[in-house]
Amino acid sequence: MATVAIGRPATASPRALTRSTGESRAVRYTLIGIALVFLALVLLLPLALVFVQAFAKGLPAYWQAIREPDALSAAKLTLLIAAIAVPANLVFGVAAAWCVSKFEFRGRNLLITLIDLPFAVSPVISGMIFVLLFGAHGWFGDWLFEHDIKIIFALPGMVLATTFVTAPFIARELIPLMQEQGSEEEEAAIVLGASGWQTFLRVTLPNIKWGLLYGLILCNARAMGEFGAVSVVSGHIRGETNTLPLHVEILYNEYAFAASFAVASVLTLLALVTLALKTLVEWQQRRSAAGVADTDSPSERIAP
Amino acid sequence: MSIEVRNLRKAFGNFVALDDVDLDVPGGELVALLGPSGSGKTTLLRIIAGLEPADQGMIRFEGEDATDQPVRERQVGFVFQHYALFRHMSVFENIAFGLRVRPRAMRPSEEEIRGTVMNLLRLVQLEALGKRRPSELSGGQRQRVALARALAVKPKVLLLDEPFGALDAKVRKELRRWLRRLHEEVHVTSVFVTHDQEEALEVSDRVVIMNEGRVEQSGTPEEVYEHPATPFVYGFLGDVNLFHGRIDRGRVKVGASELEAPEWAEARDQAGVAYVRTYDVKLTPSANGRSSIEATVRHVRTFGPVVRLELDRADDGGSIEAHIPRALFDRLGVGKGERVFVSPTSVRVFARPSDPGAARSA
Repeated sequence: MATVAIGRPATASPRALTRSTGESRAVRYTLIGIALVFLALVLLLPLALVFVQAFAKGLPAYWQAIREPDALSAAKLTLLIAAIAVPANLVFGVAAAWCVSKFEFRGRNLLITLIDLPFAVSPVISGMIFVLLFGAHGWFGDWLFEHDIKIIFALPGMVLATTFVTAPFIARELIPLMQEQGSEEEEAAIVLGASGWQTFLRVTLPNIKWGLLYGLILCNARAMGEFGAVSVVSGHIRGETNTLPLHVEILYNEYAFAASFAVASVLTLLALVTLALKTLVEWQQRRSAAGVADTDSPSERIAP
Repeated sequence: MSIEVRNLRKAFGNFVALDDVDLDVPGGELVALLGPSGSGKTTLLRIIAGLEPADQGMIRFEGEDATDQPVRERQVGFVFQHYALFRHMSVFENIAFGLRVRPRAMRPSEEEIRGTVMNLLRLVQLEALGKRRPSELSGGQRQRVALARALAVKPKVLLLDEPFGALDAKVRKELRRWLRRLHEEVHVTSVFVTHDQEEALEVSDRVVIMNEGRVEQSGTPEEVYEHPATPFVYGFLGDVNLFHGRIDRGRVKVGASELEAPEWAEARDQAGVAYVRTYDVKLTPSANGRSSIEATVRHVRTFGPVVRLELDRADDGGSIEAHIPRALFDRLGVGKGERVFVSPTSVRVFARPSDPGAARSA
């Protein structure tokens, strides 16, 4: 029986564990209580307030605020920016993770650090960078003006700013995953005659799909919700360069609270859907990882 | 198909992995690359496969230059040490992979693929497990799937990197014999890498012993075992005792004794090392001529048909290991702490080896 206990610590009763290693009841309840109060105040209350405020003037007013032309155009622009920025970062993220995790080269660690730059820098700075580059008084300002190309206060600038801010999400998610998996499976595929593209589609992609999806969801959420960087380059032209987060701010500044919160509630709903998807993907990811790990090395010997 | 390797060189930064290596693998043979870790054997295998570029040198398959041929065109089968099975595919799909990725014109029909895979599953004795995922198999089963997958594309050459390295001792022995039988059946030119001398000697037609990026010796298992060409090979194959001394006019002076070394008749007072296999010794209760070395018994292990004795030399306290048949041991009748005389029956003398540490008994 002793061998059973050693081989399967998981079957030991959890109560026995907490009694010997846990804190007293009072300490535990106090800690849990503090955590719950904090959660309620900082997370749940604001969330509930968004919806309460949104419906403060009734359902028709809510509906109208959402269907207002400016709001609709802001929603369209938000979707358009995400539709460009997210695929761009998908390609960049997979390519960056691929070269960082499958190859050794000089400057590799520098590249890994650089990928994190958009996270480290304030979003306002991220926006300013593009104004300094492409603005009227920026480096390329004169040239752009001569050729009648508008980047700042127009869609290209907003896409650039969003892409920059959301660049790390997918790469960050994939790098540790691909490093852990190594490149032996890819080597095996190539030896068997697969082309680079076939190897990627048939071997690499299926192995990283859950991590990739996870990164995509987070990247998309941030792309739609980004405020700071986009605010700097947008110019806030109603019906033209306003995204949903910017529209919320404008309405709020005009004391149109109910309308402002109505639009905000759309963004909040988006966040909730993102969270649900993220949880689902995490669960799937853990399940497929467990499938590989739990039967890692079943014993060859015949049981006595 | 034969493999020829000429003047191969490969360095990783300052580390020279392969230093001017030549290798010949006749068609249809099973060749073992044997050596300690870091000796360059896996690098050599990966360069033959095309997974690693060589810095210098040439590789020919059946006389044709393949040095710059891309991996996917070399038609080699490669079995990785940790199998590298596609974890998200079933066993069946793993084996079918090489056929499915072929260009459409060369791709066999679905029926043909099914037929090939089922045949291979039968060959590796895993017919019932085609639907399983690699994670649901034992180590030995995974290794056989990896082999079947490599064989599916009808490779001209089969390369195996430490194929049994990750398995436990009993399974390793079974798979070893099975690989030998499989090779007799399919007869594809095969090269496998191992650091296990017993494995290399038992399975292969020919053994290539590598050390520090060079080939030390190659030959049949009998040749390399009976006639080691270098001190390293002597030390690496089998257990061996080392006696440091001076060579002079056909004799080696070791402490208070003198060993015969007729091949060194010309030598005049030169540093040398005598190699004596642990079973090439005779133990006697009293001195037996000038060549016998006085020692005391430190430890005796008597399990099995061979008795292993650890002895301490009387002259310099050095240690000697002796393996003698149980019957002889019983007749000798010595025990722990008692005195015996060790007479080497077969001695091989090398002049001062470059690195005596590398040649210590394996």
